[in-house]
Amino acid sequence: MTWISKFTTALGLLLLADACYSAYEHSVLQTHRAASLSSLTTSHSGATTTLPIDITIETIIATFIVCLGMVLSTSKLRPIQWRVWAGKIEREGEAGFLSSSGEVEKDYVGNPFQLLESRPGFVDIRKQRKEFAVWAKGQ
Amino acid sequence: MSSSLLHPPSYLPPAVALRHSQQAPSILGKTTGAISTSLFHSLLSAPETPELWITYENLLLSCLRTGDDESAHQCLGRLVNRFGDDNERIMALKGLIREAGASDAATLDAILKEYEEILRDNPTNIPILKRRVALLRSTGRISESVSTLISLLDITPTDAEAWAELADLYFSHGLYSQAIYALEEVLVLQPNAWNIHARLGEILFVAAKSSDHLGQFSEALKRFSRSIELCDDYLRGYYGLKLASLPGHHQGAPSSRTGSDGFAVPDLATLSKLDEMATEKLAEIVRRSSAGEKGWQGYDEAEIKAARELLESVSGGAVVR
Repeated sequence: MTWISKFTTALGLLLLADACYSAYEHSVLQTHRAASLSSLTTSHSGATTTLPIDITIETIIATFIVCLGMVLSTSKLRPIQWRVWAGKIEREGEAGFLSSSGEVEKDYVGNPFQLLESRPGFVDIRKQRKEFAVWAKGQ
Repeated sequence: MSSSLLHPPSYLPPAVALRHSQQAPSILGKTTGAISTSLFHSLLSAPETPELWITYENLLLSCLRTGDDESAHQCLGRLVNRFGDDNERIMALKGLIREAGASDAATLDAILKEYEEILRDNPTNIPILKRRVALLRSTGRISESVSTLISLLDITPTDAEAWAELADLYFSHGLYSQAIYALEEVLVLQPNAWNIHARLGEILFVAAKSSDHLGQFSEALKRFSRSIELCDDYLRGYYGLKLASLPGHHQGAPSSRTGSDGFAVPDLATLSKLDEMATEKLAEIVRRSSAGEKGWQGYDEAEIKAARELLESVSGGAVVR
């Protein structure tokens, strides 16, 4: 999640909380008013005011802002076609699979068939050690 | 090519392997290695992830490669603490460490005898079977390693890695048709492996050159084409396609003859079109990769150099930057 999406989502949730609290306050006010009125008159006034329209608008806008924040935080879509995905791995390497925070994504494994050519179960460790020693001397 | 510690290190260039093994002391020091089994402690401490153990295993392999045996033993100790001594993979890693530390033939023979003892108790211990094959091959006892590998494949015919190792064994000793058969088995198990299609094309090309069997050039062409179908901008595929589509390789084949699978030997017009396409693509890849364009940096340096040399040799000196 990038900072802008976090900020937007937080703002939207704040607005939503504010709208919900306003609606709660309104309903408390309603019951309080109805209770005090019924102690004065025997019949109810009958007309309860509906929720003020600005609370409704605030709720709807808050929902949209939260949705916008969540959408902004999704990662880049990956290719569906096999050859496009394979080409991306070959052409871009791990630079093509960075998450939004700039690190290589955890489930990126490079070419999954590379192990058929490197065959880690059959590794000839002595030969690798010798080759590494030769390379290190050459440095 | 990735540089993460989550991927097996045998394909890494030496510099990256060195960097990983130098990180070993810090990684080993960061986590204590004590695995608590009580519920209370496991609630408090960070949850164990599979990545941790993969990291230890790959760190072990990198350290063995660079000669840092001390860290390798520490990694092994932690793995044994977690998984116990009886785990097949752990047994194979232990054998690997002992192989790496062996300095003379007598020690290697002793290790080999130990493997055989383990296999007598449990004949289907796949990691130990693989280690035995690798050790036999490393000490030069090729026919024994081939027969062990074939018996391994009788136990698990679906192990693509083992078939690939068999193909490599055959190829390195010049038995091309057996190598081709083994790689075709790999492709039966993993039909979408573009690099194996390219490898099979390369082996067919070498076999065709040495035996002058013309149908095999067409086979090689087919394999390289398939690898390009499976992977856009595949450098190795285009390189092979260019080499295999040289008209000189297809001369003398009557146009009505079909190859071994009913694949018709392509006519000259198709060959020249393929050659043109391959040249164009190779030039584009070399140009963009050398220019440092973003999104084209995943290629291996040595492969780009080889492609550039091929283009220069064919175009007769016209330099491709």
